[in-house]
This record gives sequence, structure tokens and C-alpha cells, in this order.
Amino acid sequence: MTSSPSEATAHPLQEYADSVAEVVGGTARITFDTIKVEVEPKDWVEAHTKARDDLDLVYFSFLSAVDWANEVEAGDPLSEKVEERFEVLTTVSDLTEGRRVTFSTSLDKEGASIDSLVEVYAGANWHEREAAEMFGIDFKGHPNLIALYLPDAFIGNPLRKSYPLLSREVKPWPGTVDVESMPEKTEPSTENPEA
Amino acid sequence: MSIEADAVRHLAEAQVSVELETEDMTLNIGPQHPSTHGVLRLVARVDGERAYDVKPVIGYMHRGYEKLSEVRTYPQITALINRIDWVSGYANEIPFVVAAEKLMEIEVPERAQYIRLILTEMARISSHLMFLAAYPLELGAGTPLFFALRERERVLDLIEGVTGGRFHPNFNRIGGVKPAAGSGSTSRKVAQDLPAGFLDGTRFAMDKVLSVCDDIENLVAGNEIILARTKGIGIIPKEIIAAYGVSGPTMRASGIPFDLRKVENYLPYDRFDFDVPVGETGDSWDRWWVRFEETRQAAMIVQQAIDGIPPSGPLQAKVPKVIKVPKGETYVRAENPKGEMGYYLISDGGQGPYRLKIRSSSFSNISILPWILEGALVPDIIAIMGSLDFVLGDVDR
Repeated sequence: MTSSPSEATAHPLQEYADSVAEVVGGTARITFDTIKVEVEPKDWVEAHTKARDDLDLVYFSFLSAVDWANEVEAGDPLSEKVEERFEVLTTVSDLTEGRRVTFSTSLDKEGASIDSLVEVYAGANWHEREAAEMFGIDFKGHPNLIALYLPDAFIGNPLRKSYPLLSREVKPWPGTVDVESMPEKTEPSTENPEA
Repeated sequence: MSIEADAVRHLAEAQVSVELETEDMTLNIGPQHPSTHGVLRLVARVDGERAYDVKPVIGYMHRGYEKLSEVRTYPQITALINRIDWVSGYANEIPFVVAAEKLMEIEVPERAQYIRLILTEMARISSHLMFLAAYPLELGAGTPLFFALRERERVLDLIEGVTGGRFHPNFNRIGGVKPAAGSGSTSRKVAQDLPAGFLDGTRFAMDKVLSVCDDIENLVAGNEIILARTKGIGIIPKEIIAAYGVSGPTMRASGIPFDLRKVENYLPYDRFDFDVPVGETGDSWDRWWVRFEETRQAAMIVQQAIDGIPPSGPLQAKVPKVIKVPKGETYVRAENPKGEMGYYLISDGGQGPYRLKIRSSSFSNISILPWILEGALVPDIIAIMGSLDFVLGDVDR
């Protein structure tokens, strides 16, 4: 937190980031002390295998996805137009010096699918199940790609930007400046209803 | 030989020649079971006394924090993420605010960093004492519970004195910490600080924690029944730990001396002297022992931090009134009581994140259950599950 990262000057992690990119065959950049290596979807499994075997990044931290969308149903829209895509992210780390690398790849939204990492990192199993149900990404070769959190009958992929936050459809978000008036206070009636 | 005895002998011979037919049974455990620490359901195929094909069913407590955080502002999110691992609510906030501060390039004042560190370690003590209390209880030893919870209450009272909340402090602000409850006067515009007597009270509480650790050690470490039920039970080898992303004390119990407090710089841990306890075999006993030792180490870190905390100074860096985090993305992870807790924050320059990936420790830690429970004895299921020390809020998010 003390270092103020800037991408223009040489970052202390730059050398390591470049060496990682060379081994796995991708492009590396450093974003606020996080090494991010972008690889092609076809090299996804191979890149992780090399990271694990050649770079000793044996520890699997997480896998998730980002929906880059221009139209959003919930939350703020992006300030600039982006290419519509899913970005799949993983972070792996070594268990000695604490070096960590985030791998990233981009998928077309139409029929998004990518090879599963379960054979490389067993821990990817649940993370891929979560990403599959939340974004609708197909992980080819996954042994058990069923819903993890959501009920079986659930329709839709909640973390897609096109998926509205349903509770807000019913009731507007009460956190902004009093969008909803308080229920009208009714004085107890003085009339006798049976009169 | 009487006719009766003859008949009995024939019957016995007949029974021997009959081959025993066994049938697998499907056993459902949970979701409402006291040892699941929340709502976890296990479906196991039981063959005799052994369990196979254990399938954890989760999601009963899925609250959709990742989606919710996309429609919340940054200050609102700290109130949400308190509730991920509620046994150590305070510690959940740290990696998130540090991630936002990284993108905003804010330097947090030293006194605020020390307060964060003290409260994080107190959250660790409270979480570990809960485990040290509950785990023997699950194995049938009730006494350690009373010792551990008494001191845990003392620690929680102190956390409440500073933050106003026992479980959900919501105390961190981007750029520092909230002015403490119960100190100074809001009407007089005096800079508020820690409540009077907090540091002395904490020093006393840490002495008490260290002494209750001795009591618990006497009660548990020599208890033959607990040792018999945990030694050699539920061994996790090193390679499995890494591939599944199991972290925290569960990882260290398997002999991997890896602690994010030593390698990441989210709080100034490098100024303190503490050991990273490491287990030998990776069995349930080692997992108990590592957390037990960590409690002592955490108490000693707090004592050092009380000695080293700057006596005065600002608690907040200068931040704009409306927090807008500049465009960018980063991953910040921290050593939480249960393992690696991290946030992958993607900001578009707005008042709330574009995407917030929450990496919680218990999620990866219990994804190992099908592997570790394969072929385990049914009575050991609880002994193994309890030793993983998970919280369902941390699994389901």
C-alpha cells in the first residue's frame, strides 16, 4: 500500500512479469502491483501447466470471470465503449516468496467456452462451476459442471451485466436520496364504524 | 445331545454358509447440523462404517455479494463484506479497503495502520478461540469451551468498544479508520481517537489470552481421547493442499510454512517479530495445534503493536467527500484467520466497483471435502470437518 504504482516507469515486478510471459507465451503488464498475463484461449490449459511445472506457481487462488458489456441492467455503465466479451481470470501463486500471477483470457460472448483447468489444478473444480452458472461459460472437460450455488430450476446467469437485480425491479434502491415516501400515517379513526 | 442343542448347531452351520449381503446406504448430513457451522449439506454413500463419494451441497446461504457490490458505493461495501466470515468480521474489510486505497494511491496514516493491525489480530484471536472451544466440543470435550469463550468475550468487548460492533464492526474507511465510538464529542469537532483505556485493557486481555492458552493446552493436549480421535485422522498431503488452493492454518498444518503476513505488505507486519507455526503430518491434530499456536503468536503481535503504536496522529488520510476510485484493477489478498482472503477489484472510475471478485478462504478450504472424506469412517467425518474450521458465510458469500 505504500508504493505508488505507475505503469510507465520500471516496476520492481517487471522483470519477473516478463519472464512469466515468455515461459507461458503471453503478454504481461503490471496493474497496481498485480502481474496480469494475457494468453490466448487455445493456450489456456498449456499456460497454466507451464506456470505450475516450470514456474513453481503451484497454489491455485481463484478463477472467475468479468462481463465486459456496454449495456448494463444493474450498476453503473462503463464510461467508455468496450469490446463485448467475457474475460476469464485466474490467480496462481508460489508458496515460498509469495509471487502471484493473474492469468487472463478473452472469450466471445456467443457460446463462450474454454477448456477446464481441473486436470492442472484440482481446486478449479468449484470455481469453474461457479463461473459457469454465474456467467454461462462452458468449461470443456469439466467432470461435473452442475450448479454450485443456485437452485436446479434457476434460469439465467446472475453475474452477467444483462441480468437485472430482481429485488430492485420490485422495490427501488432505498439507499439513494429518499426515492420512496414513507407509508402515510393514518390517524386512528374517531368514527364508530358500526354507527 | 438333546434335540434342541442339535438344532442350534445346525442353525449355526447354516448361517456360516450364507454369504452376507451388504447394501450401500445414502447418508444425508445437514444442512441443519450443529457441526457444520452454518448450513452445509453432505450426501455420502456409506458402505458399512465408511463413507464414499461425499458430495458437499452448498449455496443455502448464497447472498450474491458479488452482484450486490456492483450496485453499491465503496463505503457501503465494507458493511456487506463484514458478513462474509462473521467470526472474524473485522479482518474481511482489510483487503478490500487496501485494494481501493491502492487504486486511489492513498497512503494510510501510521496510527490507523497500527489500529487496523491490532484489530485484525484481535479478530484472529476471537476466530481461533472459537475454534479452540468448538472443536473439542465436537469431539465430546465440553470444558475447553468455557475457558476459551470467556476470554473471547473479553476480546469482543474490546473490539466493540472501539468499533461499536462485536461481529460486524464496519470500522474501516477508505484512507484510514472510522473515528472510534465512545471517545470525544461529536459536537465539539475534536478529533476522535481510541476510547480511553483501550490500549491498557487490550494489554490485559492479551495476558489473559496467553494464560487461557496454557489452560486449554493442559485440558486438550494431554487428553487421550482427543488425541486418539485426531492424530492420523484426515491427513492432507502438501501437493493436494496447493492444487486445491487450501490456505491458512490448514495449509500450514500440512508442513508448508507460508503466511501472507510475511510476504504481502497490506499491513506493517514486517515490523513485528512473530513465528509461523507449522505442522508435521497434516492431520486433524496438527490443524488444531497450528491454530492454537497462532493464537499465542497473535496475542504477542498485539502486545508488540501496543508498544509500538504512535501515541498520536491522524486516523484518516485526506480523501474526497464522495469516494470515486480511479480506473484500474488489482488483486489484494490478506492472511485471514481462516486463510487467504482476497478481492479482485475492477474500477471504472465510478462510485462503486465495476466488478468485485471475492476470494474467500473457506470456499477453497472445503472444496477438498470430497477428497479428504473418501473412505473415512463415519464417526471421523465430524472430526475431520471440524478441523477444517470453516464458516458457511465464507463459503457461500
